[in-house]
Amino acid sequence: MNSIIPQLIVNSIIAGSIYSLVALGFNLIFGTTKFFNINHGVVSTIAGYTVFSLAKNHGMDIWLAIIIAVIFTGFAGYLSEKFVFLKMREKRASGMVMLVASLGLFTALQAIIAIIFTSQFQTISTNFGESKVYNIFGGIITETQLIILAAAISITAVLGLSMKYTKFGKAVKAISDDVEVAKIVGINANKIIAKVFFIGSMIAGVAGIAIGFDTGIEPTMGMNLLLKGVIASIIGGVGNVYGGVLGAFFLGFVENFGIWKISGEWKDAIAFGVLILFLIFKPGGIMGKKG
Amino acid sequence: MKENENLLRLEDIHVHYGGVKALDGATVYLNDGEILALMGPNGAGKSTILKALFGIAPVTKGEIYYYGERIYPVPHEIVERGISFVPQGRQIFKSLTVLENLEMGGFSISSRAVLKSNIEAVLDLFPDLRKKLKVPAKNLSGGQQQMVAIARGLVTTPKVLLLDEPSLGLSPKIVKEVFAKIKEINQKHGTSIMIVEHNLQSVLEIVDRAYLLDKGQVVANNTPQHIISSGLLEKVFLAHK
Repeated sequence: MNSIIPQLIVNSIIAGSIYSLVALGFNLIFGTTKFFNINHGVVSTIAGYTVFSLAKNHGMDIWLAIIIAVIFTGFAGYLSEKFVFLKMREKRASGMVMLVASLGLFTALQAIIAIIFTSQFQTISTNFGESKVYNIFGGIITETQLIILAAAISITAVLGLSMKYTKFGKAVKAISDDVEVAKIVGINANKIIAKVFFIGSMIAGVAGIAIGFDTGIEPTMGMNLLLKGVIASIIGGVGNVYGGVLGAFFLGFVENFGIWKISGEWKDAIAFGVLILFLIFKPGGIMGKKG
Repeated sequence: MKENENLLRLEDIHVHYGGVKALDGATVYLNDGEILALMGPNGAGKSTILKALFGIAPVTKGEIYYYGERIYPVPHEIVERGISFVPQGRQIFKSLTVLENLEMGGFSISSRAVLKSNIEAVLDLFPDLRKKLKVPAKNLSGGQQQMVAIARGLVTTPKVLLLDEPSLGLSPKIVKEVFAKIKEINQKHGTSIMIVEHNLQSVLEIVDRAYLLDKGQVVANNTPQHIISSGLLEKVFLAHK
């Protein structure tokens, strides 16, 4: 019985790594714009399918495909901001209206992906790190999964340091506090928000690629991934970059240990159950404000 | 800037918020080293003039000149040109500390050394803030928050400081301190100041000149004492009762 625990820990850490990438991007965007961007889910899907198309369909080198996919996904996020959300903010659209717009954009893009690539479940290139496996205190982890974990850790570190020590990070902090006052002190808020969308979308793209290598891709993968990222953000504290990461790993552990003795189909029910408990008893999240 | 040329000039400015005419052909100018007051009843267009200057009001007609050059204000560019805006309502970054607020005020300053030096100079003007540098701004009193807002506006050593109702919600004692500071800023640093203020008694002690506005138009441009003694101020305010 005890021999399963190390594997559960490994699985939890990998799940947490992927969720943290979605949460990082989501929190970055939500923190600055204060709106729930559902479209954030589909950018993960875009990244996965870009790698699939370039590497599997066109035979491109896998690392080059990944780099192009991440940048392309960043631009997809940037374009959604420039041509949709910025226009809506200029017209003083409410958060609800913008949420609906993001849902519309998400649905449209997801449908386009399904038309182009069909709705079939696909795997991304098979010659990426699968051949090596490692045994860590009884838990088996593949090279691909180690790369995912390393990516999550390094992206979190780079983002955290940027937020603290760069001018961009200070601008994001200011805009998150009060966008109107940020403009008054000379911050070009629209430019910073555009960069936030670009960076946040790139990070979500890495999550989509990670899922693609770990399990596979399908056009509808974005919503579930987004919801897990949002749950992680709420658990950790919405808008708090580090909180989202903490929440992601918490969620990963709860999900995987939660299904230890029961069917894996209960995973989502457990995740949303935890969400509801936090919304009732600690809506500010672990690192957020009280009540 | 040529001799006799105004430092800042708004010429025939019209501002519309949807169907509402906030400014209706107002012409206002500010001279170098001057403290200028904008007076008038609610809705006269006083704050709108400051916002038009700063690029955050929808100007539909008219021209703005700075140092004789026509400008099309955009907030982040205006700050770099040397115009700072302190909006009404103690608008500071509440989750940031006092020091972080001041650092944000110098966002447009690229040199870390210059920023540090400017903050030091501002703290010389507001010594009470030195003891509060690590305090989150939301934990300060109203008066202290207003001091932070003004101090933040000075970090870039602006040529022009726009102040929108700096005494709003403050006790009489603090109001006196605030206006004394404003006078000091003008005298020590030569900063030209345009101030919107309802507290006429306090502001009139420090200003060189005043505009009286009503319904988006300029009704008078003279020394405040002259505007009061002419009865025009009373006439405009009474018309709104």
